[in-house]
Amino acid sequence: MGKLYDRLNQDIRFIEGLNGCLNCGVCTAICPAAEFYHYDPRVICATVQSKDEKMIEALIRSETIWYCGECMSCKTRCPRNNTPGFVIMALRKLSQELGYFTDSEKGRQQFAIKRAIGGNILRTGYCVNPDIVSPQMHPEQGPVWDWISMNTPEIMKKMGSNYKQAGVGGMRAIAPEVLEELDRIFEVTGCYTLFDTIEKHSKHKANELGIEISDEGIGNEYFMTVYTENNGSHNG
Amino acid sequence: MAINSQHIVIIGGGPAGLEAASCLGTAGYRVTVLEKEKQTGGKLLIWDKLFPEFRNSDKVLNHLSNGFKTNPPQILTNAEVVSVIPENGQHRINLRDGQAFQADTVLITTGFKLYNAEKKEEYGYQIYENVITSFDLEKQLKTGNPIRIEAGLTPRRIAFIHCVGSRDIKSGNIYCSRTCCITGVKQAIEIKRRLSDAEVFNFYMDLRMFGQNFEELYIEAQQKWGVTFIRGRVSEIAENKDNSLQLKAEDTLSGRPIKMSFDLVVLLAGMVPEPRTVEIGKSAGLEFTSGNFLAGLDSHISQNETNTPGIFIAGTCREPLSVAETLTDARAATVKMISWLRENETSHKKPLIKRDND
Repeated sequence: MGKLYDRLNQDIRFIEGLNGCLNCGVCTAICPAAEFYHYDPRVICATVQSKDEKMIEALIRSETIWYCGECMSCKTRCPRNNTPGFVIMALRKLSQELGYFTDSEKGRQQFAIKRAIGGNILRTGYCVNPDIVSPQMHPEQGPVWDWISMNTPEIMKKMGSNYKQAGVGGMRAIAPEVLEELDRIFEVTGCYTLFDTIEKHSKHKANELGIEISDEGIGNEYFMTVYTENNGSHNG
Repeated sequence: MAINSQHIVIIGGGPAGLEAASCLGTAGYRVTVLEKEKQTGGKLLIWDKLFPEFRNSDKVLNHLSNGFKTNPPQILTNAEVVSVIPENGQHRINLRDGQAFQADTVLITTGFKLYNAEKKEEYGYQIYENVITSFDLEKQLKTGNPIRIEAGLTPRRIAFIHCVGSRDIKSGNIYCSRTCCITGVKQAIEIKRRLSDAEVFNFYMDLRMFGQNFEELYIEAQQKWGVTFIRGRVSEIAENKDNSLQLKAEDTLSGRPIKMSFDLVVLLAGMVPEPRTVEIGKSAGLEFTSGNFLAGLDSHISQNETNTPGIFIAGTCREPLSVAETLTDARAATVKMISWLRENETSHKKPLIKRDND
């Protein structure tokens, strides 16, 4: 499998994202995630830069790499033109490929994201659209969402969207040939392989924990577990 | 004393130019100093006290003018040089107003320009009224008046931000401006001397205390004056409703992001080359460093010579230097110039002409 550092060095995001960090901390100072989580992009860069295999392994098995929101604020500030956000992307990819993401609570959510968002894209062409965001699964949307979800067609019409119709405009139905193209992109870029890897490791983890997991969809116990579990130690 | 007929033109009447003029004058050369401002002295005129011993800048200015007791140079003020063109083995120096001078050798001592801190928009210089530069603070200190913020109040918490426009690819300046670290320490102490109750912080990436007694001053700032040093580059400043300033950084030594409010923020803006120096350098066919300063012929053994024979450089037009280093550099340049003039003495015997308005 090779050294973790060498594998990171094959990722263009890593190659472009880290070119000698001087540990000034400006990335952490601008980072929104660092304000809320136990998260420090500077320390992550320092860890990776150390090339210490044990520390890199611990990092990609940890909660830490999943706190980043990939907003790329760090890119705008670094005096050495590094992009810690790119480094995080490379670390996440490695964690997914090796199955280490199932070791952490935030990492296990990869399964939920793959099944929910990943499924949505392939099925509808949207990561998120009103039909997909159910009030039961998204209490953070507030009570108004209940009403919106019950009256979506009328509201969308009033908002001037082309809801689920062919042609152009917001909320339009994505044409079958476009969905086919998406399918091809997922195939060619290795997305499906990565999906399969996430599925494989998640199923392994579910079995290890004795939690029921289905072959597809979000109606299974493992999905709900990774979707809702919170050990309360991520911030504060 | 016997005056050598060879003519030297020095472009820039700041510390480097004046020190070189006095050395070359003492050595018996005919020197003309061209100063673009109405007064010589350069940025020393702005500065109140000099690190590390808080000497008044006047003392150095006096030293520079006292150097002219024997064979004083011709000093022209309001004399803005636009180009230096090699001509018949000599150099023709053209001024903005059309005047021109002929010189056997030229010394460029045009100094530096303060980095325009407005470019680091995230720090809010010229946006927030209580964000100032080290130059602005020095001007305020020089008045001798009590330190006040815009609203006329006494600041209680003051932050110094290091490396503004230095060591920063984003601002286009990879190099270290060198003198800002010690300036931050010096000015922090000066604030504590005047406002003993104030809390003073320095936000830095590294503190480069390279000069004699610099480290000692840093220790004094911590031990005697209680100045706090936080290792972290500031990411941004925002103004609160009461015009105080909220600053974000990471305390990298404890690994915690921090937000703090200050009444006054001082940006330690770095040194950049004067745009005019670049123009003059191009006209004379000189080479430039990666930071766009004038390049010496060799970084170890001939920093003051250039790729154009007969043109020499000294002071901060070639790299960021302290006042002490600038004076040393100027003296070093004069030795090289005198050697060069002696070697080239017999090569031409043309009459030296000063041509006005041609």
